[in-house]
Amino acid sequence: MSALRAFRIFAGEAFRDGLRRRLAFAVALVLLIGLAGAQTCTQFGTGTIDVNGEAVDGNVIGGFLAPLLFGFQAWAVLAIAGLLAADHLARPLAEGSAVLWLARPVSRHTWVLARLAGALGVALLCGAALLGGTGAMLVLRQGVAIEPALLAAAATALGAVVVATFAMAASLAVGRSAVVLIVLLALAFVAFSNGTGLATELAHPEVGVGGLVGAVDRYGPPLFTAIAGAVARWNPHVDTGDTFQHAMIRLGLWAAAGVALLLSMFRSREIES
Amino acid sequence: MPQGTSVGLLGANGAGKTTALRLLLGFARPSRGAARLQGADPFDPASRRGVGYLPERLRLPPGVTLERFLSVHAALAGLAGADLVREVESVTETTGVRDRLQEPVDGLSKGLAQRAGFAQALLGRPAVLLLDEPTSGLDPLGVRDARAWTSAARARGATVLVSSHVLSEVERTCDHVVILREGRVVASGALEMLVQPGESLEDLFVRAVGGGSATGPPDSEDGA
Repeated sequence: MSALRAFRIFAGEAFRDGLRRRLAFAVALVLLIGLAGAQTCTQFGTGTIDVNGEAVDGNVIGGFLAPLLFGFQAWAVLAIAGLLAADHLARPLAEGSAVLWLARPVSRHTWVLARLAGALGVALLCGAALLGGTGAMLVLRQGVAIEPALLAAAATALGAVVVATFAMAASLAVGRSAVVLIVLLALAFVAFSNGTGLATELAHPEVGVGGLVGAVDRYGPPLFTAIAGAVARWNPHVDTGDTFQHAMIRLGLWAAAGVALLLSMFRSREIES
Repeated sequence: MPQGTSVGLLGANGAGKTTALRLLLGFARPSRGAARLQGADPFDPASRRGVGYLPERLRLPPGVTLERFLSVHAALAGLAGADLVREVESVTETTGVRDRLQEPVDGLSKGLAQRAGFAQALLGRPAVLLLDEPTSGLDPLGVRDARAWTSAARARGATVLVSSHVLSEVERTCDHVVILREGRVVASGALEMLVQPGESLEDLFVRAVGGGSATGPPDSEDGA
């Protein structure tokens, strides 16, 4: 059997497994709430809006609203990727159902990558619905360009790979609750660091952010820098230059490192039977 | 293990029977020595080609029908299309779970789950069968059936390695035995060579595990 065929079989099972889980209901709920939020936030349309007695063009508000809304939805997609990956590999190993798969003539790498693909498949399906729905509402109602939405969706997808691989690797070392906590805290801290770094660069480019926040922003996975670099294009008052391109390259390196770490940790793991 | 033989892997609790199977399947690395499955390193996936495995603690994946479960394993065993469908029908007929194909595997009773486990191990007519406590959870009829499935596999030339506590079953289904004590082989060979006249397998087992040395010289002094 070819590794590709085995991967397709395993990935299909992992995807169905992801859809069957109770967490899928929570994901569906997040989707509904997210889309309902996008529906509410994009209702005012284009034209002139009265803000504290001053007429403000709807497009200007859209230029601020769209990045915030899209950024928040992207954060939800990254969180979903991390939460799904938190036990998508560890659970079949702990339950013991993995031994039957691994006793077949397939490599461990094939199986672990397929589990990753299954978790990512569910997260990205959710992301496509959430970001696609939000992007469509923003484009159709606020009249913003579609390109930033597509770039931000690509950044979110690459970010989801980073989050899922590290969450899965962590799940081989610690329990599910700990992984969930780590994922949520890390996402919050990276968002804060990236946001601080980007805001400082825009407002005071001569000043660098120091400490842990600065280090995470400079060397950590630029999950939100990439998304912000894309959606900032909606705001004509903000120029982020080539932030998006640089952040995507760094994200790609982090994704590769995450996959390498996951494969390395799983290769040396003993399988209980 | 000579090809085409049926070997019983015996030993007290904690002797290393399941560990030996895990080493053969590449689930763990030996601290010393080396394991080979079909002449290959167990970490090479090719070593598991044509291998059927039934673990001691069988855990079937939740939310999957028996048909789906077996179809996926049949595909992983290299079957496709009409051959796959025929093989699933054949093994479920043999193991008596044909009428359960649409039921979720995690809802099957222990005995039926064990039969389902046997069905997946028999898929694709494996050349090597690794069975860890295969009669666990089976009723007397199931035990008799399991013996028949193992014998049928042997009859078509399969090599069978059975780890078991049930000496009577090993005596009836195996022609060779390997007895482990604390991870070491303390006796191994053909049953008729190891068991002395007037002695049972149980006597041999007690002799080998209880501290005395067995009649046959150990095949290996390496740890498992």
